[in-house]
Amino acid sequence: MAGFVLRRALLVLPSLFGLLIVTFLLIRMVPADPAAALAGDNATPAQVQAIREQMGLDQPLPAQFLRYLGDVARLDFGNSSYSSRPVALDIRERLPATLELTFAALLIATVLGVPLGVIAAVHHNRWPDFLLRVLSVAGIAMAAFWLAIMLQMLFAMRLGWLPLRGQLSVGLTAPDGPTGSVLLDSLIAGRLDIFTDALRHLVLPAVTLSLGGLATITRFTRAGVLETLQKDFVGYGRAVGVPRRRLVWIYVLRNSVVATVTQIGLLFGGLIAGAVVVESIYDWPGIGSYTVQAILTADSKVMLAVTLLIGLIYAVVNILTDMVHALIDPRLRDEG
Amino acid sequence: MRLTRREAATLAFAALVAGPMRGHAATPGILVRSDGQPVNLDPHQIFDVPMMGFALNVYDGLYRYENNPPELKPWLAESHTVSEDGLDWTFKLRGGAKFHDGAPLTAEDVVFSFRRVLAIGKAPASAFLPILKPENVTAPDETTVRFRLEKAYGPFLAAIPIVAIVNAKLVQANVKGDDNGTAWLATADAGSGAYSVVAGSVTPSEKLDLERFAGHFMGWSDNPSPINKVAMRSVKETSTGVLGLMNGSIDMTDSYLPTDQVEQIQASKVARVEKHPSMRTFIIRMNNGRAPFNNLNLRKAFAHAFNYDGFINEILKGYADRDPTPLPNGIWGYPKGAQGYDYDLDKARDYLKKAQAEGFSLRTPVKIHIQSQLEQTNQAAQLFQSDLASLGVRLQIVADTWANISTNVAAADSSPDMWIHWVSTYFVDPENWIGQMYDSQFHGTWKASSFYKNPKVDELLRRARGLVKQEERAPLYEEATKLIMADCVDVWIYNTVELRGVSNRVGGYRFCPVGGGGEMRWLQLKA
Repeated sequence: MAGFVLRRALLVLPSLFGLLIVTFLLIRMVPADPAAALAGDNATPAQVQAIREQMGLDQPLPAQFLRYLGDVARLDFGNSSYSSRPVALDIRERLPATLELTFAALLIATVLGVPLGVIAAVHHNRWPDFLLRVLSVAGIAMAAFWLAIMLQMLFAMRLGWLPLRGQLSVGLTAPDGPTGSVLLDSLIAGRLDIFTDALRHLVLPAVTLSLGGLATITRFTRAGVLETLQKDFVGYGRAVGVPRRRLVWIYVLRNSVVATVTQIGLLFGGLIAGAVVVESIYDWPGIGSYTVQAILTADSKVMLAVTLLIGLIYAVVNILTDMVHALIDPRLRDEG
Repeated sequence: MRLTRREAATLAFAALVAGPMRGHAATPGILVRSDGQPVNLDPHQIFDVPMMGFALNVYDGLYRYENNPPELKPWLAESHTVSEDGLDWTFKLRGGAKFHDGAPLTAEDVVFSFRRVLAIGKAPASAFLPILKPENVTAPDETTVRFRLEKAYGPFLAAIPIVAIVNAKLVQANVKGDDNGTAWLATADAGSGAYSVVAGSVTPSEKLDLERFAGHFMGWSDNPSPINKVAMRSVKETSTGVLGLMNGSIDMTDSYLPTDQVEQIQASKVARVEKHPSMRTFIIRMNNGRAPFNNLNLRKAFAHAFNYDGFINEILKGYADRDPTPLPNGIWGYPKGAQGYDYDLDKARDYLKKAQAEGFSLRTPVKIHIQSQLEQTNQAAQLFQSDLASLGVRLQIVADTWANISTNVAAADSSPDMWIHWVSTYFVDPENWIGQMYDSQFHGTWKASSFYKNPKVDELLRRARGLVKQEERAPLYEEATKLIMADCVDVWIYNTVELRGVSNRVGGYRFCPVGGGGEMRWLQLKA
């Protein structure tokens, strides 16, 4: 198992290197020049050139890339050309908010999606199955921004139950803490008032973000359970009198969720990407809205660092997914 | 009655999530603004509309624009003098101004600020770099600042408010290497303005908190109950901002509210829309530097094919003022009785035929670049596309970003056929509009992206730029504007009416086109 994890981890490095090259070239292919925007309204070409030199954009492309690679190897991602702050600092401040949102959405999607998939499979071709199939197709098809506005209208405006936007109410300040997550740090600091307020702010964005994943997990779980229900051990279990609930929710489910777990792993990366829209609508201070601003302003250092980060998260989640596979299915562990 | 663990957990979660019913979520004693926030709080690195809204509150300048139409008033300076040749400018500071850390604001801080702007060389410097050397900004004593210009520059005084005065000692204490303190000031406060930044409250582009600076040099006698605390929260989606205004969680939106939101807000009992004509002009640029728009008849055909009234009255619901010239309505130098081009498809057809005779082909599509995150540029392009289609012209709409366009306009060959933008009021002088847009020496900048070249216009604009007295400059700008209009360089559409959603609990709102009504020292918050 340890060897398997080590081999997978070593493969991550060339993947990230490839990702960095592709992203670097793509960014340079776009004509946007941040120096022109920074120079101001009637800056002369000489003034723009001076800023390009300051930013190192006048160097040949390979030299720029090698220099950037050297910096990255020292974990120096450079400064944002607009905020003038180290990109690593900006990301460190914002990543916990995105992870908080993504984990919450994944939790909602998994906790609801797996049981709903089992229910749909057990009631195959009956009304609960039809209903859940329709709802899951709708969940995948529904645009996040539309759902977000509907949820805001209902829960923030009509009912007044939940906050409309943001991560914390005006007047409250997140406590400093080791994780950067408002939820965790407020718990660690024993500030239940802040924890409760942050949780209330998290509900609508997390529900919005979870919907597509919820539908996917429901469909994959349904398909897996349906397939497992056809296997011999299920009939044998029934024959020896294993209670139906135990048979389905433990033995069948355990043999059905490998594909679902893979989907959950893939979903995690997808949810981080999907957070861009949700963060914008709810003004969630994560890396999604930060990245959008970087793209609009051609802030290449931010784009590169965020791409690298998301690539790394994908890779780590894939390794974790494989490890979970092995835990669920001992045959895979033996092969590993 | 005994609750199971599951029932108890469900009830607890419901209570947690539901909380108290809140029809009105206003925060007592705190003004919540959802304006765009500058990505960087250093007023010497960034100069855009969000920065102006921030800097007007946290920093002071030598002079400041107030009211609408804007009047340039002495601010940190109490007066100024200028030499006959327009090269030597002397500003006398009024005494008693202090920075937020209590240090006195002196002429040395003014000198440091101007030199720092020039050294950094970014947007706020662009008006000064061609005419001012750092060593020529001096302070003969604690309350006097002298500028010796390289050449006479008429808009110098008008551009003076661009430079925010920073606390020299504080910035110098935070310089790292040769960074001029830029990394530190990006999230810090070195100002003397009416509001100070609350330490530790800044998340760039997301949030920052301000508190009233009781020691502001202007005093607070003109506002007996000013707002003490302000929370600036960046709202990225208009719909969220409007909903926030309606449920009371936001007190002020930005001043670019879409016109289709106005009625909804006006009909509510909790908020209103402040409507103020500004000097921000809306323009469709035509690339005169190459085919097809190096053809005057084609430019005139296009100018007659835009449905100005339809756009203003139907799409913008009347919230804009038609402006047929490249200058904002009402500014000095505006040609009296300017008629401009009207919407007339028959005239457009006639000019189009002449253009075709001169080589323009209807088979070649004309591309118009829009700023895809700004819906109004798309609406204007679609309206234009529809009318041009009736003439047989194929207008192809290209979604683009500001960063791309402002790079591509570096040369006529890479610049789009057409693109759409606004020109904001960075300083109140015709130079901000026609000076920087139509003098050929600025080709390569986004403002001069029509690539228009007319030696007579160049000569008029350069003469006007080299004079100091407004009465001498005005006729030159009038003449230049008439020539530019005769050459139909661009499609000039309207002056913005700025629309800002404001909670009814906010009083004392004042608007100035410079800064878009972002200054807060007059505001009050009703209980």
